[in-house]
Amino acid sequence: MDAEVYLDNKSFIHRLDPRTKITTFLLTFVAILLFEDPFWMLPVAFLIVLQLVVSRSLINFRRIRYILIVLMISSLVLWNVFSRGVTPLFWIFTVESFYFSIARSLLMILMISAGMILISTTRNEELVLGMIRMGMPYRVAFAISTALRLVPTIAASILTISQAQRSRGLDLDSGNLIERVRKFLPLLVPVFISTIRNTNIFSMALESKGFGAREKRTFFLKLEMRTADYFVVAFAIVFVVASLAFSAMGYGRIIGLTRF
Amino acid sequence: MSAPIVTIRDLHYRYRGQKEFALAGINLDLLRGELLVVMGPSEAGKSTLAATINGLIPHFHKGKLIGEVTVLGRKTVENTVAQMAEIVGMVFQDFEAQLFSTNVELEVAFGPENFAVEREEIGRRINKNLNYVGLDAYRNRVPSTLSGGQKQKLAIASVLALQPTVLVMDEPTTDLDPISKMGIFEITHRLCRRDDLTLMIIEHETEEALFADRVALIKDGKLVKVGPVKEILSDVDLLEELGVMPLGIPKFFKRMGVTKLPLTPDEGVQEFQKTRWKISAPAYQKLVSKEQAELAKLNQPLIQCRNLEHCYTKEVKALNGVSLDIFDGDMVAIVGQNGSGKTTLAKHFNGLLLPTSGQILVNGLPTQDQGVFKLGQKVGYVFQNPDHQIFSETVYDEVAFSPRLRKLAEGEVKQLVKEALEAVGLAGYEEQDPFALTKSGRQRVAVASVLSAKPKVLILDEPTTGLDYAEQRSMMELVRKLNQQGSTIIFVTHHMWVVAEYARRVFVMKDGKIILSGTTRDVFSHTAELRDASLRPPHFVEFSNHFGYTFLTPEEMSTCIEGAQD
Repeated sequence: MDAEVYLDNKSFIHRLDPRTKITTFLLTFVAILLFEDPFWMLPVAFLIVLQLVVSRSLINFRRIRYILIVLMISSLVLWNVFSRGVTPLFWIFTVESFYFSIARSLLMILMISAGMILISTTRNEELVLGMIRMGMPYRVAFAISTALRLVPTIAASILTISQAQRSRGLDLDSGNLIERVRKFLPLLVPVFISTIRNTNIFSMALESKGFGAREKRTFFLKLEMRTADYFVVAFAIVFVVASLAFSAMGYGRIIGLTRF
Repeated sequence: MSAPIVTIRDLHYRYRGQKEFALAGINLDLLRGELLVVMGPSEAGKSTLAATINGLIPHFHKGKLIGEVTVLGRKTVENTVAQMAEIVGMVFQDFEAQLFSTNVELEVAFGPENFAVEREEIGRRINKNLNYVGLDAYRNRVPSTLSGGQKQKLAIASVLALQPTVLVMDEPTTDLDPISKMGIFEITHRLCRRDDLTLMIIEHETEEALFADRVALIKDGKLVKVGPVKEILSDVDLLEELGVMPLGIPKFFKRMGVTKLPLTPDEGVQEFQKTRWKISAPAYQKLVSKEQAELAKLNQPLIQCRNLEHCYTKEVKALNGVSLDIFDGDMVAIVGQNGSGKTTLAKHFNGLLLPTSGQILVNGLPTQDQGVFKLGQKVGYVFQNPDHQIFSETVYDEVAFSPRLRKLAEGEVKQLVKEALEAVGLAGYEEQDPFALTKSGRQRVAVASVLSAKPKVLILDEPTTGLDYAEQRSMMELVRKLNQQGSTIIFVTHHMWVVAEYARRVFVMKDGKIILSGTTRDVFSHTAELRDASLRPPHFVEFSNHFGYTFLTPEEMSTCIEGAQD
């Protein structure tokens, strides 16, 4: 199984400077947090879908589709509990709270998507270097990238371990909720142990290659802001400023919504 | 003679929380440009010794250290691991966990970057070292898409990029298939011809120690013997006693009463021709017909594959038309390099994987109709790494896992656990913590936990990997015993000597197909086809092939010799 998140395509987005991608990633968050009304989020949604298509990273969504569906359904229900509108729909649902729950679900999906685009199109090392150039200390940036790097390793070991336990008769697909949770123990213990073991070797290898030997280190990767980068950042800034203006003018609110 | 590069003086080391010293008084010098191979049984302190050279001990593994290690005048106690990295490179056994970049070039760049090497110079070092290990064509690949052997080559290149004076490799080939092993050995042979690099390699495969300048044998944290390679490897009895695999050729000649022992197949053939020995054709014929008669007794087909195909993705067929029969009571080995489809095939036998096309019958029924849960009772599967399945606090609970899942009464479970533990030689260990056992102990727990389901067929994926010679022997003796008691055994392995001594029949796989099959003797006589599958019979078998006979063990051959003095 190929458990890598980074997709080695050579798209326009892949070629952008990591600083550009980190900046637009952060700006996207601002833009989607501004509005309560799902319709006002559609421009951002459109831009994100466009990026997904251009960078051909939709494939990564297939891996997390179940998590996304679960998150979406629970968010669609929960935001109705935590907010109230004035036009009743049914039970605890009101038209306003329903719109709001759609907006919040969309927000979550869009945030995940924005993150997904960033890590699907940016190498770990580029991300690290981008963060450092933007002022983050090397060790912190490296820690973030290591955490990201661990995900595919853990996913791969879960697969092997679940096969091993299934061969011994573990049936993960039956039983009630409590039984199923209990059944995960035979998976969790070996996953933890092998992860701890791997990180141990990982840190030994790290030190053995001189990690932190010198105050300063050099970077083989070279980052370069090209015309396209400036254009993308400029566009993102204009977009966010416009969103801020619209939001300040009172657009994108849901009238009659009370949030608890 | 110039001053030694590495000096180890009266070195003692105890891991934190342990009572015993893992190293107990080691004195050793490494000379400029030499290759020292360190051998010894599991838990002898080999890896511990390796970790003291670059300071992982005492800086990373905290514990009690007495004595000192000096590399080029630098004391490891006074320098951090990162500082030592400039002069001592370290390659680990686990080729997955020691790589952390998303690109081959960047992996090599990582070390020099840490030492603030200029960008242009890093570029030069990348070119030079990728070229050296033969990964030029892969420079833009993601390391996780490389094969195991390529990953290990990359690990070597990334360490060489630091231009160390000493290179320490801790079992660099243990987890690799034969062809990848050869690739790594080819690199180490080139490395050891360089006189600016001192090499210390920890190795299990005695055939590979032949290229060393010196061999050090260690046991219980002490040096048992250090000396020139020829002297150490000729000491067949000492090796056997230490649990290090002796070479088949000196073993044979020793058995025949020769005093000056040849080591390699070529030397063996020369030595043989000096004697007046003859191989007796009738005796050999008797050996072969006895084997045939035993094989003819097996006639109940248990697993039948017909044109089996399996695809993980649309493009690649992991299995491409496999047809085979495995009979009740058989003992079968499946061999081939990584990616040849061995494990994919084995995972079809218990229904973990289902065929994309073609048919597989177990006990006369298609596996699709039976499911893993039901099939698991008939076909047990022991995975390669016992740590991928052990999770209980006691050995008893671990072994009882499978019968309990099948909702058996506790009395019955107890009986099954007892039998399984007795079978693997762990009776009396019921209340022990499985994680506290050695690798070979955990391997046995894994086997017992599969045996407790009372399967008719036992599949073992690499049962001997990561064990020392004595442990490998006892593991395979256990498997043979289970076979004699009626279990059908299928094992996947890279260890050719294990195949030679224990398998009855062999299937050789390449590119998802079976390219050669037959009795073990038959298969090992087809050297050309084996080479095509990137496999090689053990030295001893190769040696006997030279005379037109295929002998699997030195014992077997010595019974068919005419004209010896005694």
